[in-house]
Amino acid sequence: MKKLLSVLLLVSMTASLLAACGSSKSSDSGQSGTGSEGGSASKKVVAWAWDPSFNGAALKIAEELYAKENPGFELEVVDMAKTDLEQKLNTNLASGVKEGLPDIILVNDPNIQKYVTAYPGTFADFTDKVDYSQFSPYKVDALTIDGKVYGVPFDIGVTGMFYRSDYLEQAGFKAEDLENITWDEYIEIGKVVKEKTGKYMSTINPNDEALTSILLQSGGSWYITPDNKGNFVDNPVMTETLRVYKAIADSGIAKPVTGWSEFVGSFNAGDVATVVSGVWQISSIMDAKDQSGKWRVAPIPRLNVEGAVNASNEGGSSWFVLEGSANKDLAIDFLAKTIGGSSEFYERFLKENGGVGSYIPSFSSEAYSQTPEFFGGQAIYTDFTKWSTEVPGISLGMYTQEAKDALKNELPNILNGSDLTQSLANIQKLFEQQVQ
Amino acid sequence: MGSKWNKSNLMGWQFVLLPSALILLFSFYPMIQSLLLSFQSGKGNVYHYVGLSNYARLFSDPMFKQAVLNTLLYLVVQVPIMLMLGLVIAYFLNMPGLKFKGFYRTAIFLPCVTSLVSYAVLFKSIFAVDGILNRMLMSIHIIHEPIAWLMDPVWAKVAIIAAITWRWTGYNMIFYLAAMQNIDPSVYEAASIDGASKTRQFFSITVPMLKPIILFTAIISTNGTLQLFDEVVNITNGGPGNSTMTISQYIYNLSFMYTPNFGYAATVSYAIVIMVAVLAFLQLKVGGEKK
Repeated sequence: MKKLLSVLLLVSMTASLLAACGSSKSSDSGQSGTGSEGGSASKKVVAWAWDPSFNGAALKIAEELYAKENPGFELEVVDMAKTDLEQKLNTNLASGVKEGLPDIILVNDPNIQKYVTAYPGTFADFTDKVDYSQFSPYKVDALTIDGKVYGVPFDIGVTGMFYRSDYLEQAGFKAEDLENITWDEYIEIGKVVKEKTGKYMSTINPNDEALTSILLQSGGSWYITPDNKGNFVDNPVMTETLRVYKAIADSGIAKPVTGWSEFVGSFNAGDVATVVSGVWQISSIMDAKDQSGKWRVAPIPRLNVEGAVNASNEGGSSWFVLEGSANKDLAIDFLAKTIGGSSEFYERFLKENGGVGSYIPSFSSEAYSQTPEFFGGQAIYTDFTKWSTEVPGISLGMYTQEAKDALKNELPNILNGSDLTQSLANIQKLFEQQVQ
Repeated sequence: MGSKWNKSNLMGWQFVLLPSALILLFSFYPMIQSLLLSFQSGKGNVYHYVGLSNYARLFSDPMFKQAVLNTLLYLVVQVPIMLMLGLVIAYFLNMPGLKFKGFYRTAIFLPCVTSLVSYAVLFKSIFAVDGILNRMLMSIHIIHEPIAWLMDPVWAKVAIIAAITWRWTGYNMIFYLAAMQNIDPSVYEAASIDGASKTRQFFSITVPMLKPIILFTAIISTNGTLQLFDEVVNITNGGPGNSTMTISQYIYNLSFMYTPNFGYAATVSYAIVIMVAVLAFLQLKVGGEKK
């Protein structure tokens, strides 16, 4: 009798446990996998994005536009933190589990080649689905791998030099003095600003690669070559980039910061005269309401090397469709007709969320020619879009993060004045160790 | 006799069966799978067996060496400081005449209930260039210029060590306190009568009596330090350079920041396993009971 009882207990425990597993599994797939399992009849597409007030909101605009032509179309946007999204995608793809993956996914541009190469056959080919001649070429270059284009270009991070016109005026500089300058001229201006106003010219964070990335791309170069080799030795752009970086650090015009919030805090508090950053920085700058009318934007300074321009890019992302998704064709059509080819989408995205895209036809629209009071009536978006067409196209390769970390390892030595050629050779060696 | 033995045992086995199956499935099976994975290399979902070459790569990988050195430094510097501090605090909190005992105990244990990420963010802001520490030091004229703590390879490590010491000292203290309360007061009384000073009592009675607990805390602290991740990622993100990066952060980078090579990442994980095992074995040898 006792034995029977214990067996019964065991069986019921196992059963309830399995039931619990089973039900949690089914509710899981119900949450995120309905799109891929529900079939094409439901016309529902699932997308993963990481910022409900930016890229998530963009999808909502696209959904509205697409649903007008295609009644019954439904889009489910799953919001999660960016690192969570990337981890989830990585682990899912590496384990080969396709359930629970969405149809559409947002990809940070430096990750594009990494994903496409590491997970072959996972992402849908967009080559003939979108008219890529309508987009800024550097954005399309980032999406092109072995002659195929994966995904639809989305937001861009074309850079500008935001500056406090009041500080610079006080130091005796006019707007023309900031157009088309080199970094050496920038440093000289910074010294005058520091002397006359007591304000720093910029911030510097040796643990963050944003500035070196901007400098490199403005010279048409990157940490790695298009065939994924280290690009540290015999690269004049790299040498010049690190020379400029050290010069800024040595000149005393840069306020040291250790993190993002300190960086944003420094210009919101009015500690710095300029911010060299991507166009998406506008919303953070505009957070300091009391500084309205004091900000302007100029092109970024350029490197003193052949082919360098006064334009670069920082960040940006693109939309991918998963090859294995059940609604692949619908998802591709949805993206191609909205984010991949609708000026109206980009106008609304700018007006409603302050997002700037790389879709050239939209640049001439009314939304892009607005003159915000905060920037003293400057047509900032017209300027930014003009610069975006000048940004050199580069291949971001698949080992950007490894190369950045190798550089970061040596950067303290470079800033302490070690021999640059030797340091660059060390970085190259470290990078080659990392990538094997 | 035989059947009775079988019957009662069978009952026991039935109860053990389910947990054992679950442990096998959710703990041992992944361990074996990751061991297999550590013999493979590739990127993303394209893998092939490479034999021991991942393990060979460990020894020529400067990043891995750096991460191991950093982690060992935390271990060698931080764990003894923390354990001694915990022991001394526990001793004072156990003194019979102490007022507001509950308050002090709570105050010192409180850091342990804070979330790892939130206290790390707090320490980051304390050590920021215009953070509270610099302001304090400047207002009492110890320094004249703010120090960029988190940008200096040495000070950044000091900041990490300060943070984990703050977080975990109280945790170890509680173990010592509990163990001290189990020491019979008559032992101290006898020692006092024999004329032993308080210091002498601490080193000759308290410490030897706490030996098993000290060993236990040393092993879990070693284990915890070798797996250090949250603090470093949130306070310095491994920087400046890679001078504060830990082994766990390196594993994370290999899997999620770099072009994913889960095979090599698994190899690095097994390196931690081996190190924990060796260190625990040494600690048991040095501090354990001789039998």
